[in-house]
Amino acid sequence: MNSPVIRTLILKDWRLHRLHIILSLVASGAALLVLQFRNEAAFVIGSVWLFVSLIVLGSMLPVSNVINERKKQSVVFLMSLPVSALQYAVSKVVSTIGMFLAPWGASAVAATIFALSRRDIPNGIVPFILILFGLPLVGFCLVAGTALISESEGWTISATIVCNSSYGLIYYFIVRNPAINGAFKSPTPVWSPPVLMILAGEALAAGLIMGLTFYLQSRKREFV
Amino acid sequence: MTDLAIELKRVGKRYPYFALDNIHLEVPHGQIMGLIGPNGAGKSTTIRILMGLVQQDCGDVRVLGRRMPAEQIAAKWDIGFASEDMRLYEGMTIEWHMNFIRSIYPNWDAPYAQLLLKRFGLRAEQKIKGLSHGQRVKATLLLVLARRPRLLVLDEPTTGLDPVARHEILRELTAVMTDEGRSILFSSHNTQDVEQISDQITFIDRGRIIDSMDKEAYLDRWRRLRLEVPLGIALPALPGIIGIRQDGRLAIATANVFAPDMANEYESSGARVKSIETMTLEEIFVANVERSREEVEA
Repeated sequence: MNSPVIRTLILKDWRLHRLHIILSLVASGAALLVLQFRNEAAFVIGSVWLFVSLIVLGSMLPVSNVINERKKQSVVFLMSLPVSALQYAVSKVVSTIGMFLAPWGASAVAATIFALSRRDIPNGIVPFILILFGLPLVGFCLVAGTALISESEGWTISATIVCNSSYGLIYYFIVRNPAINGAFKSPTPVWSPPVLMILAGEALAAGLIMGLTFYLQSRKREFV
Repeated sequence: MTDLAIELKRVGKRYPYFALDNIHLEVPHGQIMGLIGPNGAGKSTTIRILMGLVQQDCGDVRVLGRRMPAEQIAAKWDIGFASEDMRLYEGMTIEWHMNFIRSIYPNWDAPYAQLLLKRFGLRAEQKIKGLSHGQRVKATLLLVLARRPRLLVLDEPTTGLDPVARHEILRELTAVMTDEGRSILFSSHNTQDVEQISDQITFIDRGRIIDSMDKEAYLDRWRRLRLEVPLGIALPALPGIIGIRQDGRLAIATANVFAPDMANEYESSGARVKSIETMTLEEIFVANVERSREEVEA
């Protein structure tokens, strides 16, 4: 792999999108601040805000980092550099995922620490928090994979709509699972088989989508 | 090492409504090859195949001795590619782009880049979105030239430019060729630009190469003969004459391999040769395309 050039392309994407990342981190920070108020309304507003900021970032990044580069024809400029189509895809996947994972990881860690540090919130909620954080990650992978493979704004927006409208439904089924909601009030996190299965499923789905993206990208015969 | 900068052999690429068919193209080192064709002829597809951006269905492509698209990474270190549809990042400055390219290419020639900025009337701190079309083309070309590539591949670089900008760009391309090791493939449908700088010319139409040779050979070999043909006289079919258009007593014969004997042959058949004219590259191009289409349709 032509790693110095790939690294340069990744850094270039980070530089171009640093405002998105900073804004997302600021939004997540603000949501965590709201969560500091010890009442139910602040908890609901802060939680929703936290997830919405991640969902917005996850929907926006693939369009901004992948689709716009094609739409505005900067991809021809990049492909004139000493990189192959697969290497370009690698740089796009790594930069896009990285730009999402930074605020996502920071938010997940902060939310987990927040839950563990608050005495009025039972630690049994931690597995549920991690499951919830897995949803925008899988959704983001699906939208980013669609953007990379289809190179179409229409398909990417469709994938975004499908993901965003599925979160509520998936949340509903997770919350109704007695193995999960039964452990909410536990003083310690309960890593029951359903919890582990859902977390593994989310990790597997994210990995499979990205693996399929790389595979399909490597089989493309036309790139620009 | 091969003495060809670009070599395409039996290259084909099929699309639902267009096919590139059996393309043979050779550009020797140190030469400027002009690729001329009407819109939709296959110039950009050919160039994208040789840049490794589109994979051919069949045939071999070698650029600077590297097989494409398999060895495109190694080849692209020495290729400067610019195309009409290439866009830089609108929100960023020329300087940002220069730093970006410099971080990739160790051969980046900073003094030359500064010189080009001056020659092209550009300012490094200008954002791309504030540039005119001509300035954008110049900025792109600056980024390509200052990395000192051995091969320049330019897909319609002068399209949409005003005469002054075209002149500046063509002058810079000619200056690049003072280094004999460099080669340029230059596509355009503007025959004037191609005629001005090319050593060799290839005509492409409807996905087929219809002719390829030295520019001077084209201009030497092609002639238009204006004839007066009395009633009842039939013009003989001469080798080298690719078409005759007759309107009453006046006829125009187009020769792609002109020989002085042709005038004598027509005279002895009873016709009178009124004039023998040289042809411009544009006229040669149009005649070539028309002949090729007639052959295909026949």
